[in-house]
This record gives sequence, C-alpha cells and structure tokens, in this order.
Amino acid sequence: MLRRLCLFLVCLAAWPASATEPARFDSGSLAKIEARYAGKPFILSLWSVNWCGHCIDELTMLGKLSKNEKTLPLVLVAVDSPEDSDAIRKTLRKLGLSHAESWVFDDPIPERLRAAIDPTWQGELPRSYLYDKAHRRQAAVGTLDEARLKSWLEQQGQRSGTAK
Amino acid sequence: MMSIMKTAPGRWGLARTTAALLLSGYAGAALPHTHMSPENPGQAVASRPAKPTLAIGATVDAQGRIWLARVENRTLLVSHSADDGQHFSAPVTVNAEPENIGAEGENRPKIAVTRNGTVHLTWTLLLPQPYTGEIRYARSTDGGKTYSAPITINDDKRLTSHRFDSLVSDSGDRLAIVWLDGRDRDAAKEQGVAYAGTSVYVARSDDDGASFHANRKLAEHTCECCRTALAWTADGPVALWRNLYGSNTRDFAFSYLDTGKVQRLADDEWNIDACPHHGGGIATGDNGTLHAVWYTHGKNRQGLFYRQVKGDRMSAPMAFGNPQAQAGHATVAADGQIVLITWREFDGQAYGAMALLSKDGGASWSAPHRIATTADAADYPMPLIHDGRMQVVWNTLREGVRILEVE
Repeated sequence: MLRRLCLFLVCLAAWPASATEPARFDSGSLAKIEARYAGKPFILSLWSVNWCGHCIDELTMLGKLSKNEKTLPLVLVAVDSPEDSDAIRKTLRKLGLSHAESWVFDDPIPERLRAAIDPTWQGELPRSYLYDKAHRRQAAVGTLDEARLKSWLEQQGQRSGTAK
Repeated sequence: MMSIMKTAPGRWGLARTTAALLLSGYAGAALPHTHMSPENPGQAVASRPAKPTLAIGATVDAQGRIWLARVENRTLLVSHSADDGQHFSAPVTVNAEPENIGAEGENRPKIAVTRNGTVHLTWTLLLPQPYTGEIRYARSTDGGKTYSAPITINDDKRLTSHRFDSLVSDSGDRLAIVWLDGRDRDAAKEQGVAYAGTSVYVARSDDDGASFHANRKLAEHTCECCRTALAWTADGPVALWRNLYGSNTRDFAFSYLDTGKVQRLADDEWNIDACPHHGGGIATGDNGTLHAVWYTHGKNRQGLFYRQVKGDRMSAPMAFGNPQAQAGHATVAADGQIVLITWREFDGQAYGAMALLSKDGGASWSAPHRIATTADAADYPMPLIHDGRMQVVWNTLREGVRILEVE
C-alpha cells in the first residue's frame, strides 16, 4: 500500500501534464526532465505517431516491458505536433503505455528541438537515450533492442526483484 | 561564383490576403479560432489551426513559366508565373472534392508540364489508417484552366501504404510515376511470411496521361518512408529510392525502368532498424549523365552526398552541407552542363536555403551558398534550371513562396 502510494506520488511529481494529454515539449523541456530525474536513470524515447512504423514496434516492446516493470523510468517524446495529441494518447493506450510520461514536440521548427536534444540527430526514428544515474547517456539509434535494454536496466538496479 | 541576383516576392495573385492567412498554418495561434473557408463559404473550418502544408511542387514549362502546386485546406491549387514569380495567376483547384493531400516533410504534390502544355499532377492521398494512402493523378489539357477528376493510380484495391510518389514526363506524351507500395508486404503477411520493407511500383502512360498501363513492380524490399525520385534520360526514366540490402541496410538504389535492372548508388552501409524519412534526388545532364544526391548516416559515410553516374562509371561521393546544422533533404536539377543542388540547414536560429552550383557537369563546384533564410517553418528549397538560368523555389511560412535567382 505504501509502495503504491509512493509510486503514485512519484508519478505525480514526474508528470507535468495530465495523464490524458501529452505535455508540450519545447527547447527547455529536456533540461526540466533531466532535473526531475537528477541522480536517477531514465530512458528518453523519441517516436512519431504519424510516420514511424518501427516506433510502434519499439513501443509495443516497451508497453510489454512496463507491465512487469512498473517503475520503468520511461519518458516518451513524440516529434509530431500538439494537434496530434489525441492520436498519441490513443496509440499509447493501445500499447499499454497510457501511464507513461508523454510529451509532444511543440515548435514549428522541429530542428530547434532536435538540436536541443542532440545536434547530430537528423530526425530518423525511433531513437532513444539511456541516461544512467550520473546522466551519462548513450544513444540507441533505431529500434531499441530488448535484451540491451534489459541488461541496461539491470545495471541501473532497476530490475531488482524481477525473475530472470 | 554564385550570387543572388533578385528575390521576387512570389505571392499568389488573387485572394492574396486570405491565402496568406490560411497559409500561415502554425500562425493559427494568432488567428481567430474559426475562420471561413474561401472554397466553401459558410462552412467553418475546424477550430484547430491546420497543419502547415508548406511542401509545394514546382516546375518550369517550355515558355519559361514557373508552375506551382500547393495544398490548402485539403485542396490542391495550381498557379503559374510568367515573370519569375513576381506575379502568379489565380490558383485553380485541381480536386473539387477536398482530400487529405500529403504536403509536409518529404511529402509534396508533384507537377510536370509538357512541351504541348499538358499539366500533370500526382500526390499522395493520406488515409486515416496509419501509413496508408493512395497515389492520385489529375491533368489539365487546356493550359491549366481546368483539371480532370483525380484518379487513383495504384490498381491493387488494397488498403495499404501507397505513398511517396514521384512523377516524370519526357516532355512529350510519355509519363512515369513511381511510389512505395505495401501490397507485397501485406500479401506476405497474410501468408504468415515476414516481408522486409515495402516495394517500389511503377505506372506509365504513353498517351499524355489519358490512360495508364497496369502497375508494375520495380523492386521488392525497400525502405518504407523516404521520398522516391525520377528523372528522364535518353534511355527512358530512372528511379531512385532508399533500398533495403540484407535485413536492415538502408542504402540508395536506382533503376532504369525500361530494363528494370537495380543498381546500388553507394555502399554507405547504413544499418538501421528505423525510418530515416530522408530520401534523395536525381537529375539528367549532358550525355546521359545522372546526377544524384542523397543522405546517409552509414558506416562508410555520413551526411549529404553527390555523385554522378555515367554508364558503369560513378564519381567518388562528394560530401556537402554542414552536418552541425542538420543539413538535409537535398534536391538536384541539371540542364546540359549546369547542375544545381539545393538543401536546407538550420543554424540554431534560422533555416537557410543552401545551394551548390556547377557549370561543368559536376566536375567543379561553387562554394556552398546560403541564398535565403527564414526564422519560422519552412519547406525544403527546390532547384529549377531553364534557358541557362538557375532558380531556387522556397516556400516559407513567413515569407511565402520565393523564387531566388542564382548566378
């Protein structure tokens, strides 16, 4: 019960917007996310609801994983626009990710937001960044490999108590 | 040496104010929440600002007139200018029934005008189901005054991905359209067989677009979501697309449609389980030389590249563009010995329309030149060459369509 309450509070604190609407991601958002996860690992996963089939594959995997990993520190950022919020919400719900922290690009110049995340990123998707506790991050280009993700989570001490 | 001679403020002739407002897309925040559609007076447009449909099609006809195809409120509008974009004719509606026309990112309407003045148009109709679409075609045989009712070019009747169309005309009666097609993938799935990527399909016409031959498969296993490109050569049309080599190597391939032989453009070795959403361009110069531009982030090279192909010989890939400025989405035009490459960069503050010019068939090049900038949403710049003149067409949210002269 206490654990559940803690989780709830963590969610509340970690989540800038309501559970139904993706938060708007601007050039200052990543710094805020990083600040909230200070000293903690997290996964920044970039996707598009409009044009990225591989992203759906990756999110399907993440949705399944998050069933067993209730504390999966996942931050989803869709590179679409706020008008796609409904589609984003529906897609995430379908994939079992309606409780994941969700953001959507909010800039007529998406290159500005890409530059804020990684100036060398040309927009290909999916793309993820695995942040360790010290926020040293590794980029995962293309669909996130489940085995790699699990072993990374174990390294971060995120999978304690889960059967191997 | 390259310099800008002139910037013609290429705005649309009629309904200028309304058009400018409706074109503003993201500027919708500054607009009232509902406004009236000029096409359907009395019918309120959805309260959300429309997604900007900045991606336009442009070409030049035998008289040197510039033709533009652009999308507003699910409607394809065509206009032309006889004075290098200073004035445009009143836009003519192509599709009487509004439909969801792809006009952002690498999706744009395509336009070609023949010697005899037939105006050909293709576009991708995006359907509500994810990644599905139809390839659409319409033409005008009266100089752009009226357009035929749009037809669907893909003939498989499947609800699947038919997207990323390209169009090329031989300037006479022959026409080729290629696109990425999901029919083989879906058929394989129905059989329980895995199918990597999509396919490239072709539709051709020999009678000025009055009729099309049955769709033909050009290649299987291609990347799913990068634009295709076409050019017409003495040996017929050539198509360029991002192919799949092995399970996940996404390098470019080209093929002369008449022979169907597929050749690899470059051994970039971009192994990526993802959608680059970043295609290439192709153009024909003197003596059947093909000029190709593309983007890769492969093991062997990363960034934008140019190479020319002449028979079995290919020049070494030449890098261009600033990778620190997200240089991307290059297009090439060629006429005789002149080759003009354009692409877009973002310097942290503004987008730049970039150009590289060669006057000796790609043997030597000007320094890269930023010919225009904008601080808001922007289409990719597109090169045009005609009568020895080089121009860049660039549609930006703030400035509208600009025709930039390059010398």
